[in-house]
Parts: sequence; structure tokens; C-alpha cells
Amino acid sequence: MTFSPGFLGLLVYGSLIWCALSAIGLTAFLVRDLMRGEVW
Amino acid sequence: MSKADALLDPNIGWLLLGAFSVLWIGLGIYWGRRNKSFEDHALAGRNIGLALGTATAAATWITSNTTMLAPQFALQLGIWGMLAYSTASFGLLLFAPMAGRIRALMPHGYTSGDFFRLRYGRGAWGIFLVFTLFYSLTWLVSMAMAGGILLNALSGIPYAWGMSVILGVCVLYTMRGGLAAVIGTDFIQSLIIIIGIVVVGFAVLSHVSIDAIHANLSAERPALLDMLFPAAIMAIFNNLLFGLGEVFHNNVWWSRAFAYREGVAGKAFALGGLIWFPVPIAAGFIALASGALNVAVPASDMVGPLVIAEVLGKAGAVAIFVIVFCSLASSIDSLLAATSDLLTEDVYRRMFRPAATPARLKSVAQYVTLALGIFTWAVCLPRIGTLASVLFFAGPLVGAMIWPIVTGLYWRSANSVGAVGGMLLGAGAGLVCYFAIGFYVGALVATAVSMVWVLACTRFSKSRFDWAKLKETA
Repeated sequence: MTFSPGFLGLLVYGSLIWCALSAIGLTAFLVRDLMRGEVW
Repeated sequence: MSKADALLDPNIGWLLLGAFSVLWIGLGIYWGRRNKSFEDHALAGRNIGLALGTATAAATWITSNTTMLAPQFALQLGIWGMLAYSTASFGLLLFAPMAGRIRALMPHGYTSGDFFRLRYGRGAWGIFLVFTLFYSLTWLVSMAMAGGILLNALSGIPYAWGMSVILGVCVLYTMRGGLAAVIGTDFIQSLIIIIGIVVVGFAVLSHVSIDAIHANLSAERPALLDMLFPAAIMAIFNNLLFGLGEVFHNNVWWSRAFAYREGVAGKAFALGGLIWFPVPIAAGFIALASGALNVAVPASDMVGPLVIAEVLGKAGAVAIFVIVFCSLASSIDSLLAATSDLLTEDVYRRMFRPAATPARLKSVAQYVTLALGIFTWAVCLPRIGTLASVLFFAGPLVGAMIWPIVTGLYWRSANSVGAVGGMLLGAGAGLVCYFAIGFYVGALVATAVSMVWVLACTRFSKSRFDWAKLKETA
């Protein structure tokens, strides 16, 4: 029993998109914290 | 590795190393200007917000192992190998609720050593310090050594110079800026690493399709696609327990729990874990593409950089150099800061100078960071190549501390007999199995034995701990 190409694609593209969204999310958090004066 | 074998021209390597070194040191000095006391220096004023808190949790856990070893894992253990590596994120996810509780129970705490001293007494505290310092110093030395080896392999910069520069830079900005510099640079480093991985990943996929990768693996190495690959499935448990033990006990993570603004700790660790989870897959799949791309892989631990440099040329080599440098710096600086705090708070203040002023403690912490840097440099200089096994040797010590910490945080009936016995019996049994069977069972056995002892002692204990004792003020 082996992993299918579809699963491999889901894993790879999913992780890359997840990483890209993480970078956007982190930047958004920073902007929000900056506007609230809550960076540190 | 000779200059001819390196992926990048040494001059470009030195240029990148110089530019990032100036940036990190400059930011460290700038952010360090506001530090007046030990609390400012060690815990950034206990006021870290969600953005920096999340980024530093993720970045510190992204070591050079994550970006370099994940492809190697994928090459050796296939799809399960990538998923197994990702389970290390569970350490951050499960620490999230604990971090919130730590912050609430110990509003004036500085280190994980403070918890052991106040919760279980000096006996358990002493054992904890020996275990955690052994682990932290081993991790620090292995990271610095990896820095020299990787910079040499990637750009031909001589090992001694690469190791000295990366360690020296981290020591300088951590000394000057304390945890604020560590966390501030972690934010930038985390963005560079994540964006770098995304760009490199999509660039590789523009040269080879998923179907081609799958077809090549099916023909050449079908075991890597096997859903029932025994060694890979065992690696899941090994990585999971190692991640839990490391995050639960180490002052790298506890210092962040103390440093976050009230209400931020739990969210920051949970988000940090979620950010970290896909990184080993995104970095690791590149190795699976090596066959379809016809890239020769003479050494499996260099498979990631080799594929990237082959496909993307000089730009890829620059990208991997920057990603690796940031991965190394984000871990070395955190280890320097957390270990320095532990020695300053638990050894200098609690054992020798209880009346030391905040300014004096800050100064001591800076000198301890410098001393740690010199010690690490001296150990790394001869380039002994056996530290990976020493790090695995610490696995039983790490595993034996999980249950004393978890029960001590949540159950009043957890007691010092359970904690001391759990750590000693767990570590002892784990080490026996480490030598008798193999490295992969050390942490597992230590955790299991420690669990049985700690739970038994807790079940039959009549003592009830007063949580107010953890609110000790300086």
C-alpha cells in the first residue's frame, strides 16, 4: 500500500501554501501590534 | 569541503555573512539600550506581544536541523519521515496551555529552575540543573559546530572561521540586547526562513511535477512511498517524545512564557506550533525530487542544498545559505540567552548572591553569555564530529523530566519524592536501554519509567502543595 500522487501533491502544495499564509499572518500580527502599541 | 566543491563562491559567502552579522549586531545594540535591569535583559520587561511571541516560538524551534535534516529524513524515511519530523511541533502545541499556567502561577518567575526549586525543593532543583545544563550545553555546542560545518560546505568558508563568526555574532548581540534582541531578530529570521522555503519550494516545483516525483519514487525507491514503513513509523514516536521533553523542561521555552505579556503565552505557543508544523514537509520534499531531477547525492545530509543549487543555480545557493544562517542564529542566540539566565538566576543569585541588585544581575548575565560563548568556541574548535550521539545521549535525561513538570504544574499532590525518583530512575533506566538496545528507545523508556514512579508517588501522597509558594518575588 503506497501513498498516491494526489496525497503527495496535497502534502507538498498544502505545506508551501500554509508556510506562505504563516508569513502573511505574522506580518499582519506585527502591524496590528504596532498600531495598538503592543509589540513589547 | 574544498572551495571548488562548495555551492557558493566564498567571496559571496563572506559578503552575506558580513551583511547579516552587521544587521544582527546593530539591532542587538539598538534594542539593548532600554535594558536597565536583569528583568529587562532576561525577560524583555515581561511585555512581549503576540506577533513577536509567535515568531520567536517558531523561529527558535526551526534549527539548522529542521532545514537540513528534514530533507535527509525524507530521503531515508520517505513521506512518513517528513510527517514524523513535523510531529516535533506538538511540543510547542502542548506547551501552549502550560505556558499560560506558568505565567499565571509564577508572575515573578525567571527560569524553569525557579519552578523546580519552589515546587520540589533543593534536591530536585539540583538534579534538574545538572540534567538541563548538560542538555543545553550539548545543544549549543552542536549548533555552533553545525554552523561551521554547514557554512564550509555551502560556501567554502573555513570551518574555524565560519563557526567563530556565527558564534561571535550571536554572543555579541545577545550580550548587548538580551532577550529583546533575541526575540526581535527571531521575528526577522522567521520571516526570512519561511519566505525562503516557500520561494525555493515553488521554484523546485516549476522544474519537476509531483507526478514525475511520484513516478520516479515508485520505480526507484518504492519504500519511501510505503504507508507501512516500520522504521519511519517508529521515528514518529521518537521525534514526538523528544520534542515534548525538550520544550517542557528547557529554559529556552520557560523564559519566553515568563516574558510574554499576560494572556499572550498560550496563543503565541499554539500559533508558533502551527507555523512550525508544515516547515519540515516544505523543506523536506525537495529531497524526494532528487531522483526525478537526476541530482547525484553523494552525502544524504547535503541533499537539500544540492538539489536547490542544481535546480536554481547561484540564486538557490544564496537562498539556502541565508536560510541556514538564519536557522542557526535563531537557535544559538536563544540557547545563549536562556542558559545564561539559568546560570545567573539559579546559580549566581540563588546559591551565592541572593542580595545582588538588578543592575548587577544584568551585568553578570552579560558576562555569563560571553563565558558561554568562549566555552562553546573552545569545545567546537577541534571539530570533533561525534556530538550527534552525545545529543541523543541526553534524550533519556530530557524524557525523565516530562512527568515531574506536567504533574507539578497541575496536581497539588505531586511531590518531591516523585520528582527526584522519576528523574533519577527514568534517566537511569533510559540510559541502560540506550546502551543495551539503541538510541531510539532511550527517551521512550525514560519517559515511561518516570511516568510510573511519578504517578504512583502522586497517587499515594497525602501532601497538598500551596500554589501561592510559586509567586515568590525577587
